[in-house]
Amino acid sequence: MAAALNNAVVQRVTRIPPAYFVFAILMIILWIARPHMLNANILGIFIRQVAPLGVLVLGQLLVMRVKSIDLSGGGVILLVNYFISSGLFPGASVAFFVALALATGTLIGLFNGVMVAKRRVSAVIVTLAVSIILVGFVQFLSSGKPPGDVPSVFNDIYNTKLGPVPTPVIFWVFLTAIMALFLSKTVFGRYVTSVGENAEAAHFAGVPVERTVILAHMIAGFIAAIAALVQTASIAVGSVRVGLDLPILAVAATILGGVVFGRGEGGVWGPFFGVLSFALLFVVMTTFGIDEPGKLIAQGLIILLAAIFYGVRTARSN
Amino acid sequence: MVNLIEMSNISKSFGGNLAVDRVSLELLPGSVHALMGENGAGKSTLMKILAGVHQPDRGSIRKDGLEIAFASPGEALESGISTVFQELSLLANLTIAENMFLGREPVTRFGTVDYRRMNAETRNALGELGLTLDPETLVSELSIAERQFVEIAHGIKADASIFILDEPTAALNAADVEVLNRHIRRLRDEGKAVVYISHRMDEIFAICDAVTVLKDGKLIGTRPLSEMTPASLIAMMVGRELQDLFPPREKAAGDEILSVENFRIDTASKAFSLHVSKGEIVALAGLEGQGQQKFLRALVGQFQPFGGTVTIKGKGLSLPVGQEGGIRQLQAAGVGFVPEDRKEEGLFLGLPVEHNIAIGLHARARELSVAKGHRNTVADVMASMNVKADGPSAIVGSLSGGNQQKVLLGRYLAADMDILLIEEPTRGVDIGAKSEIYGLLRDFANKGGAVLVLSRETIELIGLCDRIYVIHDNTVVSEMPAASATEHDILDAALSA
Repeated sequence: MAAALNNAVVQRVTRIPPAYFVFAILMIILWIARPHMLNANILGIFIRQVAPLGVLVLGQLLVMRVKSIDLSGGGVILLVNYFISSGLFPGASVAFFVALALATGTLIGLFNGVMVAKRRVSAVIVTLAVSIILVGFVQFLSSGKPPGDVPSVFNDIYNTKLGPVPTPVIFWVFLTAIMALFLSKTVFGRYVTSVGENAEAAHFAGVPVERTVILAHMIAGFIAAIAALVQTASIAVGSVRVGLDLPILAVAATILGGVVFGRGEGGVWGPFFGVLSFALLFVVMTTFGIDEPGKLIAQGLIILLAAIFYGVRTARSN
Repeated sequence: MVNLIEMSNISKSFGGNLAVDRVSLELLPGSVHALMGENGAGKSTLMKILAGVHQPDRGSIRKDGLEIAFASPGEALESGISTVFQELSLLANLTIAENMFLGREPVTRFGTVDYRRMNAETRNALGELGLTLDPETLVSELSIAERQFVEIAHGIKADASIFILDEPTAALNAADVEVLNRHIRRLRDEGKAVVYISHRMDEIFAICDAVTVLKDGKLIGTRPLSEMTPASLIAMMVGRELQDLFPPREKAAGDEILSVENFRIDTASKAFSLHVSKGEIVALAGLEGQGQQKFLRALVGQFQPFGGTVTIKGKGLSLPVGQEGGIRQLQAAGVGFVPEDRKEEGLFLGLPVEHNIAIGLHARARELSVAKGHRNTVADVMASMNVKADGPSAIVGSLSGGNQQKVLLGRYLAADMDILLIEEPTRGVDIGAKSEIYGLLRDFANKGGAVLVLSRETIELIGLCDRIYVIHDNTVVSEMPAASATEHDILDAALSA
């Protein structure tokens, strides 16, 4: 009896996305070792740094819930950054750049979606290839040199605050809330859950499976463009290598947040805390004086642990 | 004659659940013994005890008069007890021969796997079953029926004296079943004892000598089959008479709602027509795999027919129906398709009952609209169908087969369809739930719905339906009222076509 109760508790605990544990542990470490760092201004700056990643994750978790993946975010970010910083559209307004970015992202998402859903090409290969093509395209256009500057208004918006909280962070939380509502309240959210659980059964139940996958990719492309705008505003200059590691970090944060292929138990807030954990990790590493290589290793270890955690859980539920 | 196997007073419980309760079973050499009962009656558990998979809590097993106890399936196999379980256990990415010798591969002098010997012995074993498959074929390239045969060859080739076949024909068509039956008879004539578990009456009567019926883990009785009829056997299994299983038929059929003219399943098949009216349950009967399923699937775009005209509620349906959009197109026209394979094509096993039922309603809404709760509809469906679950949020995969099937049907009933196309309405469902499902379908028809149904179980079609179309060789060969039809009539119509 005690064993069974114990087991039930264990099961409940393992159902909580690992991101929450990682987040809690990092908070405790920080609280014990560097309590003065727990300050809205300091944390705000670190969290603001991961806002582009946080936004990108919203698209990633969506496609992963329909058993797909989107690795093209790096290419989208680079292309949007190029559009804004290259001087290709002299004197264009912010609204024009935003519209251009969103249209570009959505179009790339549409292409990914059609390839994955209709042509049944592997999502990893399609989206990775798209990303490589876009990166090459931007490097060709810019002859490998960083393009020019980003209109200053982008960085000005990026640097605003609402009280102690940076605007990009508020924007990220706001988008996350919208995505949470979107998935829990709309018919599309039901379709996503159905396709993720069993695409064949979804088809026989009357769910438009292809359309759901395509739409998920379009939304992911749209969101990648938003992430690109935030990222571009943050660095304020043109770059030919900005954001290339973001897609894989987005996959990692999504998994850490309890969303694995086809299953969305972590919801939208699990991956949100996955991204926050990465932000805190940077804070902790920085305060302990650990450099970039150390951060990479720690990041990788956390992702590995999350994967093992899921392996253990899946084995138990079988 | 001396008993080959004598199981006496066997009991086995899992947790607090008594799966087998003081059951005794004797197997004679040179006989085929049927083991029957509803799902969960304890048949498989009893056989797993004999095969050494489970150990009995109480009771004894004697073989040739000597008491035996097996700690593992390997020990049982060494004592000459060979089993073909109902779960397919072949590895798809290995060849047939590799599967047959898995874990006991012969080696050459140099310590490498002796493929030559493996392939030769496999070819012989398959040959004995009348199969000419190449032993080096990957299992993934075999049809389900071929895989089943390989599985059987795997179980039979061991030089055993007792063979346990647990639903070996579930995936086989009539011709394959005949091949299998021939081999079972051969084993019998060689003096082996065969235990045969199946839900299909015709097979039981075709090859078995005696039958033992279990119910709720208890022994109901053992009888020679020569004393039994299908009706008396079912009565023994369910504790009531066959006619009580089916709801009464209503007399009047309404207006025609589905009409199919000059339909040709493929280029070589003969054209046929069929009609279904409101208030009617119509069967597609015949031997298995004669085109019944292709026809139903062609209506929803899952199969490309050669041609014909289909009219639903007076509106023409343009053929061929699209593969991706067909299901939705037909749902919009009020036609629901209930697939046979409830685990793969039907249900979302990891999701709640609620989602499984309401998805049919959501499928008719716009993607970007707010999803309605449909709580009352789901509750109504669950109540009216007597779905046994811990509320609407219970995970469907945790329900029994019968309740899962009800949830699947419930989805289409909730979606308010006018016509239901149903494949195998009661596959893998116990007799109690079958009876309830028949009642639900009859209610649906009485309210003005129309049902077109196919099933491997002819008795089910005769009892449930109003009219029967007999399908053979991809065309309709006969039409008869179900009330006066017999299994013999249907078989006769199919084979004399």
